[in-house]
Amino acid sequence: MTFARVVAAEGTRLASVRSTGWTALATVAAAASVALGLGLFVQTGDGTSGTALVVSGAVVAQLGALVLGVLVGTADYTWGTATTTYTAVPRRLPVLAAQALVVVAAALVTAMLALAASILVTAAQRDTAGLPLALAEASSWRPLAGFAVYIVCVALLGLGAGSLLRHPAAALVSGIGLLLVLDSALAANPGRICDTVRSLLPGVGTRLLQDDAQVAATEAANLGPTLGVGGAALVLLGWVVVVLLAAAVRLRHSDVTMAARQ
Amino acid sequence: MTAAATDRATSSPTSRPAPTTKGPTVLRVVASEWSKLVSLRSTAWTAAVTVGLTWVTAYLSANASSGDPGFEPLSSLSQGLVLSQLSMLVLGVLAGTGDFRAGGFRTTFTAVPRRLPVLMAKVLVTTLVGGVVAVVSLAALVLGVLPAARSRDIPLDLTAQWTPQVLLGSGLLLLGMALLGLAVGSLVRRTVLAVTVALALVFVLPVGFVLAADLASPPQVGVSTETVVTELDPVSTVMELMPSNAAYRMTTTPDSAGPDGAPDLGPVGGGLVFAAWILLPLVAAGIRLRTRDLT
Repeated sequence: MTFARVVAAEGTRLASVRSTGWTALATVAAAASVALGLGLFVQTGDGTSGTALVVSGAVVAQLGALVLGVLVGTADYTWGTATTTYTAVPRRLPVLAAQALVVVAAALVTAMLALAASILVTAAQRDTAGLPLALAEASSWRPLAGFAVYIVCVALLGLGAGSLLRHPAAALVSGIGLLLVLDSALAANPGRICDTVRSLLPGVGTRLLQDDAQVAATEAANLGPTLGVGGAALVLLGWVVVVLLAAAVRLRHSDVTMAARQ
Repeated sequence: MTAAATDRATSSPTSRPAPTTKGPTVLRVVASEWSKLVSLRSTAWTAAVTVGLTWVTAYLSANASSGDPGFEPLSSLSQGLVLSQLSMLVLGVLAGTGDFRAGGFRTTFTAVPRRLPVLMAKVLVTTLVGGVVAVVSLAALVLGVLPAARSRDIPLDLTAQWTPQVLLGSGLLLLGMALLGLAVGSLVRRTVLAVTVALALVFVLPVGFVLAADLASPPQVGVSTETVVTELDPVSTVMELMPSNAAYRMTTTPDSAGPDGAPDLGPVGGGLVFAAWILLPLVAAGIRLRTRDLT
């Protein structure tokens, strides 16, 4: 059982399940419709840039990415095929690694499609509002690349949570709680401690979506440690590594046959 | 049965006569739904998490604002529910999808062919369990702000001013979230999709709309402070009518104004909008149950 075959097996599993296609489609549609909706309300001279409008769908699209990761991570346990899989691959960890590769590929494709859809859908509004996309400038590329990186990292977080918790609802709720709810709850109470905790949550990844002016504004309002885009990327990647490591430890050392379906 | 067995059955002093009503009476359906809900592991987990989260967030938010000079411990009551409404929602969703997860729905609806009594029994049982969890969470809420109030020597009077209404609204918010989860779960029937839809409706969409409000608000330079926003702003109106905001309005006092540009619903209006949000998927679930094939 070479690693390439394990990756092929995971790829086949992901591609043959209908929910993958629907999840990706829903993510792209959600991102595009949020961008479209915001574009209807944007006014000239607001100070927003074209890229900010295009990546604005990330907040809703991250839900689809999380679901994608959770579906891959919990597939073995909801369908009861864990015994078969780990009989074929007794070393176990190659399966998790293959799942991570496959999730990265799927999330990357979804993110590209979502960006393309957002750009297409807001093209007319950006022209009338005079918000250029300015793809020739490097500073415009960063939020777009950050969108893709953020979506991929959220999907990997979902994979880790799903593999660790083995129950789709628990994994989804933990992911949403960690990414969105905790962040907004702490944001409602600004203060040094709350802002510091917020800077250590994976939700800082949204800084990857912001251009320089917005990052400066966010950091000015932040009473915790100054992260910047690089620091935010490190925190997000750190979370991904920690959750995947925890999933790997659990996979390696615990029984896979008795995942309850409650 | 042999003659000896029959004799034993009828001659035993502890044998009861056969019940006169046959079939799934309302009480029996409710009893069966109760045992189904209470025996789910997820019910106990989500209930415990709700109570725990309520206490923790109430404690933290009261402590965070206890340094302010005008600290009102009872005003941080409404902050305690932000996280726990999430777990109540999940409690409801898992209760709604419970039958469909492991295929138990075949047995259930063979026993109760009229189908709707099962849904109504689920609503009743979830209300009972959700009500108990809500009451315990309210106790945790008050206990959470108690240390901060004591540290500033402020006595906690739960009957003062608007506090009873705020507590009632908070309890109804938690109960309503569980019922909303039940309605979405019964309609959608697939666990991952139901949890996603419920979380998207209650948490993700409002965040997206907040982004819209930020982008859409005109620049504040040169706006005189005497102008009062009286027109209804479409984004704020939609935001106020979302289930999470309408439910939150239930926990506010009638004299507090709503956000600018949105209709002022008041606590009762907020409760009515929230109830409409619960009834909509519930009625749809009933229609789907009654008119469509189950498998």
